[in-house]
Amino acid sequence: MNHGVYDVTSHGHKADPFRLTGASRRVLLMALLSAVIAGLSAIGLLALSGWFLTAAAVAGATGTVAAFNYLVPSAFIRALAIARTVSRYGERLLSHRAALTGMAQLRGQLFGALASQDSRTAPDLSGGDASARLIGDIESLEDLVVRRPTRPANVVAALLAIGLTLFAGWPAALALALALAGLPLLLRRLAERLLRAPAVAAAAAQAALRIAWIDYAAARPEIIAYGLGDRVTAALIADAQRLDRARAALFRGEAAVASMQLGYAALVAGLVLALAEGGAAYVALALLAATASVEAMAAFARTAVRQASVEEGLARLAGLLALDGTPAADITAAPMMLALGAVRLAPGDRVAITGVSGSGKTRLLEAIAGLRPAVHAIAIGDVPIDSIDAGNLRAQTALSPQDATLIAGTIADNLRLARPRVTTTDMQAVLHIACLDARVAAMPAGLDTLLGEGGGTLSGGERKRLSLARALLANRPWLLLDEPTEGLDSATEADLVQRLGGWLDATGTGLLVVSHRRKPLALATRSLAIGDCETAASLPDQSMPAMARNR
Amino acid sequence: MISKQKRAGWLWVADVAGAALFAWGIADAVASWTGADGANSLALAAILAGGITRAAILLLVQRQAIAGAQASVLALRRNLFPRLLAQRGAIAASLGQSAVLAIDHAATIENYEARFVPVRTAATAAPLLVIGFVALASPVSAGILLATLLPFIVFMILAGTMARRASERQLAALGQLSGLFVDRIRTLGIIRHFGAEARITRQVQAATSDVAERTIDVLRAAFLSSAVLEFFSALAVALVAVYCGFSLLGLLPFPAPESLDLREAFFALAMAPEFYLPMRRLAAAYHEKQLGEAARLELDAIPAPPPPRPADAAYAALSVDNVRIEWPGSSIGPVSFGIGGTGLVALTGVTGSGKTSVLAAIAGQIGVTGGNITAVDPQDIAWAAQRPLVLPGTLHDNLVLAAPAAGAAEIQAAVRATGLDALLAGRDAGLDLVLDHRGSGLSGGERRRLGLARALLSGRPLLLCDEPTADLDDDSAAAIIALLLDESRRRAVVVATHDARLVAVADQTVHL
Repeated sequence: MNHGVYDVTSHGHKADPFRLTGASRRVLLMALLSAVIAGLSAIGLLALSGWFLTAAAVAGATGTVAAFNYLVPSAFIRALAIARTVSRYGERLLSHRAALTGMAQLRGQLFGALASQDSRTAPDLSGGDASARLIGDIESLEDLVVRRPTRPANVVAALLAIGLTLFAGWPAALALALALAGLPLLLRRLAERLLRAPAVAAAAAQAALRIAWIDYAAARPEIIAYGLGDRVTAALIADAQRLDRARAALFRGEAAVASMQLGYAALVAGLVLALAEGGAAYVALALLAATASVEAMAAFARTAVRQASVEEGLARLAGLLALDGTPAADITAAPMMLALGAVRLAPGDRVAITGVSGSGKTRLLEAIAGLRPAVHAIAIGDVPIDSIDAGNLRAQTALSPQDATLIAGTIADNLRLARPRVTTTDMQAVLHIACLDARVAAMPAGLDTLLGEGGGTLSGGERKRLSLARALLANRPWLLLDEPTEGLDSATEADLVQRLGGWLDATGTGLLVVSHRRKPLALATRSLAIGDCETAASLPDQSMPAMARNR
Repeated sequence: MISKQKRAGWLWVADVAGAALFAWGIADAVASWTGADGANSLALAAILAGGITRAAILLLVQRQAIAGAQASVLALRRNLFPRLLAQRGAIAASLGQSAVLAIDHAATIENYEARFVPVRTAATAAPLLVIGFVALASPVSAGILLATLLPFIVFMILAGTMARRASERQLAALGQLSGLFVDRIRTLGIIRHFGAEARITRQVQAATSDVAERTIDVLRAAFLSSAVLEFFSALAVALVAVYCGFSLLGLLPFPAPESLDLREAFFALAMAPEFYLPMRRLAAAYHEKQLGEAARLELDAIPAPPPPRPADAAYAALSVDNVRIEWPGSSIGPVSFGIGGTGLVALTGVTGSGKTSVLAAIAGQIGVTGGNITAVDPQDIAWAAQRPLVLPGTLHDNLVLAAPAAGAAEIQAAVRATGLDALLAGRDAGLDLVLDHRGSGLSGGERRRLGLARALLSGRPLLLCDEPTADLDDDSAAAIIALLLDESRRRAVVVATHDARLVAVADQTVHL
């Protein structure tokens, strides 16, 4: 089993692994500044308007209109309206800029961290679910970064509101201060209580539903043939309703958090009113400032709501970012002897691995290629495979795996994976050996034909042959082929085997082949039962072989 | 009947009443303060009642919204699941894609129904109700609010169109990026194997920062529409405040059509932000709207089933005549063969040449583009899949899926014929062995035998087998081949295979 699969949480990192740096950090600070201005002008606009109205009414009633300076406040009101708009736009744009550039950097870092792992011990992210979850985690982190500036801005706005409430006396201001200080705590508590369990349940139900769906969808012809549509639909709907219940609880929980905040705002307004003292204009100022300040705390509620569902994801990301590993060195090594069980194979040997289906032949090839930990007794150059670092291991082998494993990109991109600056002539040459040259030449875009994910536009047999051509380009001492002619008609298969034999002769490359078809087995000069690879001959471990020193 | 999400929308409209109560409380408190009455308990009660009303309405709205949305999605699933899983007709989607249609799109539509539909329902009536309340206190203020609406709409259309185009481009770019990222993560093993990790890392980093840059450009436009909304919302408050203030001072530069007192003026001011609130809620749900509509379009694009082919009588013979099946980008056939009441036909050809599709066409599960196939009653066709269906239940339940009335003796016979008895011998539970949909506890070969036993038990005269020997070891494959050969003396058997051993024993081989 691979270690550290991507759902292990709890890494207990104290430091924030997602701290933005450099330019993104400066942008985020500017976003924060904009958010502060936006928060201040929103509260200022309402409070000043309230004060202005009341003071105007008082002046009108007491006949002191002439002494009332109405131009400054009314100009301020208009200025605040514009300031609120502009600063809010700035806040949104800048915080998104910071989040986007920060996340671009994070994706790069994450990928770099994952790429420099040894495949044998790396977290396994190859499953669609795991990689989709990784993307989801990054997106929710992006969302959190976007919201980051609003929280400190809310605090500044709250301070302004408390300051304005002071005009209505210190008891009102103190009450508002206490109420605002308690609100984030209350929101977090409530979110924690109402949302955490449904968030976890929803994620689990979603994953279970997806797995069940994939299984049933694969059996579609049988479902139709035996008229089982209703039964399967009923089974799936039962699964889906488990998901619905969790999602509904989550939704209602979010509503409860928002609802609590509305009630709280009214309560705070009532409290400020009850404790207020002084002139009517100042009471108006305090009342509107207090109301607006609770509303402004909405960002805390949103963050609290999001936090419950993203925390696990953040822990997962932190775990991946904390992986340390140095990229394997690129080494060109002399061909080494390969030992499987008690059998020692010299460079250039050609061996067929035999065994019934499910006996672990694929597993053996993948272990020799360094893709997964070995369960068989394998040694290269007399060193047990577990003690060989990734760089030295891959310098010996080139694998064409059972499922082809092509990358999304062009045919040439796939070939370049094995040799960076390969010439067109060389690409044509290996495609010819793989009997794919004519097919590629017939494509309008030739080598630049875009393949979808997993080799989309090619048939199964064509994907296999492209993967073979790629392995040939790598020029490594041992070629590992897993069912190389699966899906080929027998004429093409014969051509391929003959050309491949010629290539092996010319290059002196060693071969390990697994196939349930007979023709490719003819490439091998000897065969080895998979059962014989399980126990090791006594390996000379006293010497320090050349390869281990390269670490 | 009106849906619950719509009802939630009308409840949102009722929220305006709570807002008005709150606003009146504040206005009354301030107005009575000028009269030196001090705190006014009626005003205080109105403030609290207004807040509690709004909080309660919000809870009710969201409860109704999610209940309604989930009811809609349940109805959608009842229609969608059978269409994707059990409907004849060409659905050229991968398993992953069909899961996206069935699960992710359903979730997206739930979000649309729960978050967008209620606010859209409220978006017209709620602002009008706000206008009505404001007009009670100050008709001119109500007029001011209405007057801001016209330029707002014009700007919104301009900015909204820009924003929509921009955000569509952004969605597309983000989709491509996460596609590339997921692909490279998935193939990381082989990338490391060929020592290409440094290059691919640089490629991924370049692609991510490129998309980030482009997205930021796009957002500049996308945020304009929210800025317009923000501006008019602020403008409405500012205009009402300045008008009311000047009116109270008696300094209006035009003849006042109304005479305001502080209570009325303050009420108008406190209600002013409520005017644009429904539209702000609508804007906040815009993303849900976009995604929901896109998901609906995709679900609607699932083709309707082809008309059923009427079968004349019980199965006697099958004739496939010059049949062609065409998908976008690939073409199968023409293929021709015939089989009577018994015999074994092997369809062979490379992977992707369309063997399974021809079987599906014989079963009437997909339509053909050309040629003719004898119409066979679906009740006469048994299907043995490469990875057979397992429903949660016992092994017995799963064996008799196609023959609920099968007796113990028949079941025993089918179990023996397919070699499942060896499996049962090793397990205590026998036929009561409990299985989940994964078929946990069954090996690939045992699962294959289960599918075959089920097909035999169905007693149907035409048996279609998809790759019956793939991935099996020699002994198991030989046993299955012998079984199929034996069955072909009792019924018509058509197999899709690229196994030379199976092809060798067939009465007839059809190359695709």
